[in-house]
Amino acid sequence: MDAFYASVEQRDFPEYRDKPVVVGGPPEGRGGVVATASYEAREYGIRSAMSSKTAQRLCPHALFVFPRFDVYRSVSRQIHDIFHRYTDSIEPLSLDEAYLDVTADKRGIGYALEIAKEIRLAIKEELALTASAGVSVNKFVAKIASGMQKPDGLTFIGPSKIEAFMEQLPVEKFHGVGKVTAGKMKNMGLHSGADLKKLSEAALVQHFGKPGKFYYQIVRGIDERPVESDRETKSVSVEDTYQEDLTTKEAMLGELELLTEKLAERLSGYGLKGRTVTVKFKFHDFIISTRSHSLVTSFNDHSRLYDTVRIIMDKTDLTGKKVRLLGVGLSNFDSSGGQSGPQQGGNQLRLF
Amino acid sequence: MKFIASSSALLKQLQNISGVINANNVLPILEDFLFDIDKNRLTIVATDLETVMKTEMQVEAKDNGRVCIPAKILIDSLKNIPEQPLTFNIDKNYSVEITSDNGKYKVMGENPDNFPKDPTADDASGFTMTSSALVTAINKTLFATSTDDLRPAMTGVYFELDKKGIQFVATDAHRLVRYKRTDVSSPNTDTFIVPRKPLNLLKSALPDNEDEITINYNTNHFFVIHGTTQMSCRLIDARFPDYKVVIPSENPYRLTVNRTEFLGALRRVSVFSNKSTYQVALNISGSELQLAAQDVDFSFEGNERMKCQYNGEDLVIAFNAKFLIEMLNATDSDEVYMELSTPTKAGLIKPVDQEENEEQLMLVMPLMLNQ
Repeated sequence: MDAFYASVEQRDFPEYRDKPVVVGGPPEGRGGVVATASYEAREYGIRSAMSSKTAQRLCPHALFVFPRFDVYRSVSRQIHDIFHRYTDSIEPLSLDEAYLDVTADKRGIGYALEIAKEIRLAIKEELALTASAGVSVNKFVAKIASGMQKPDGLTFIGPSKIEAFMEQLPVEKFHGVGKVTAGKMKNMGLHSGADLKKLSEAALVQHFGKPGKFYYQIVRGIDERPVESDRETKSVSVEDTYQEDLTTKEAMLGELELLTEKLAERLSGYGLKGRTVTVKFKFHDFIISTRSHSLVTSFNDHSRLYDTVRIIMDKTDLTGKKVRLLGVGLSNFDSSGGQSGPQQGGNQLRLF
Repeated sequence: MKFIASSSALLKQLQNISGVINANNVLPILEDFLFDIDKNRLTIVATDLETVMKTEMQVEAKDNGRVCIPAKILIDSLKNIPEQPLTFNIDKNYSVEITSDNGKYKVMGENPDNFPKDPTADDASGFTMTSSALVTAINKTLFATSTDDLRPAMTGVYFELDKKGIQFVATDAHRLVRYKRTDVSSPNTDTFIVPRKPLNLLKSALPDNEDEITINYNTNHFFVIHGTTQMSCRLIDARFPDYKVVIPSENPYRLTVNRTEFLGALRRVSVFSNKSTYQVALNISGSELQLAAQDVDFSFEGNERMKCQYNGEDLVIAFNAKFLIEMLNATDSDEVYMELSTPTKAGLIKPVDQEENEEQLMLVMPLMLNQ
């Protein structure tokens, strides 16, 4: 969707139309942040996640609007209802973005481009909102294409155009390439897809680790990731970066206790129980290391998470290490969800 | 705008309602109290958009006015100021200056017009009850509510009102509690679900005494008035599960135990239980009750035996000890009895002694034993 939250506000309140609208916290007082800026507001350089104060400085007459998340959620459901007319294979990325696998093609339309046209039209006619779509043979290219002609655009990149398209693509546009990796690539003289293509798979893996494999494929237009309509959660984790490096195990255990509390809360929210706890360390030199330990039965409660973290910490030699980031995660989830391991009973029966 | 208020009286009022304020807010104004002065009467409001708490106190003020003041910094400062009259000066930019004997403190307030409006009690029905009756009802039910946001109906306490009395019901799908009072009644027959957070706030804001409180409700909101303190909250818009069908009418076996002895044994044995299931197996045979817990991951084991009265066939049944402990804590009777049938069917827990106009029933599903 184009400037989703802002567009919904402009649709529901005619007085906001054609005006720079900023959805987010108000700039007064201690100030909030920008969630979404309308295209009119973007002309002034206002972007998401910017502080509302900065936004107001860039555009003093911008209209600041409180977000109405319940409305956005219900509009999102309406959008999904439209998607479902064409396919049930939908992988949502956020409230206003999703991958659709239209090979299912419930209406028998036959052409992906035609389906995209119809969906965009339905969204425009029924919801009075505009959406941009990208159509291609895989998720990666489709996603990039969807952003090429925003707002209200439709971009099609067919199989014959993919390689040329990937070659001209700047490296920072590649999936999984953030600031750090992009900087590293540029230092190596790699600026575009074409530059990446010159490297062998082994060389890419050597420089960038596991993702190198993915880059090697993607730059050749190969992305076999399926559209996963209900993506299974494989692990849940929380982490925190500290203003001052932690140097003692006591200090780390204190922080890990807080992190495991947060993790337990998140896990019970998802209703997930697992058997493997992983502690992640990032040292002052940015080297990352992880240590795991598994129990026989699955769990998600704070006391077990923390007990297991302590087992890991007892086994880990951290003398002379300075830790800037700690993380804790749980994985190895029960497929049946919430059931206990094989050795011990403990299957809680339900009333309803 | 300017007013003078007693530091300790103000702190007391603020602490009474500050629990409603969340730590991390999307809207910074929700971290503020709204101060509203009308003829020497100061109304203070706090809200998280779902729940609103309001209180009143007398102050000295020349003129009327409104301002929002950040809650945390105000409470932190009042906690450290010895009892004395404090002067609050608010300028047109909502800058707040507090003057004490010790010095001056400044904090940026916010425009009161941005503070969310509270719900109005349109088309509301109502009834009255004693403060302690509501506090008791909350204490006896709230612990059994669910935290599973995917099933919102169970994340609050279900109120069932009619002319004969009020029932308070809570469940998390594993256990269920029902607390009935016949000394309170409502002219209308109605049901609604009140969320956990406002009930928790009421538990600490209301006194456990015979003060009369007024309860009003309409289709969307719930209002409680106690003297100058008011709370309103949104009701949970969901259908409560049909709980009556899961209450077994005939559990043939009856196990009677001393509540504190049973509670003590469960607390000790459960230390050695698996910390995700808290499984404690009850082995009941004749007049002896054995409790057993173990945790294979850490090689822990706890066993105890105690006296009981039992009229049924020998039975081994396992429960989550935490559930049993919470339930036993929610009743005052010296003795309690459990009505049981088979190791996979719900057990009922009831107090042996209870007040004439109260009736408490608790229901817990066992843990399946793999043997």
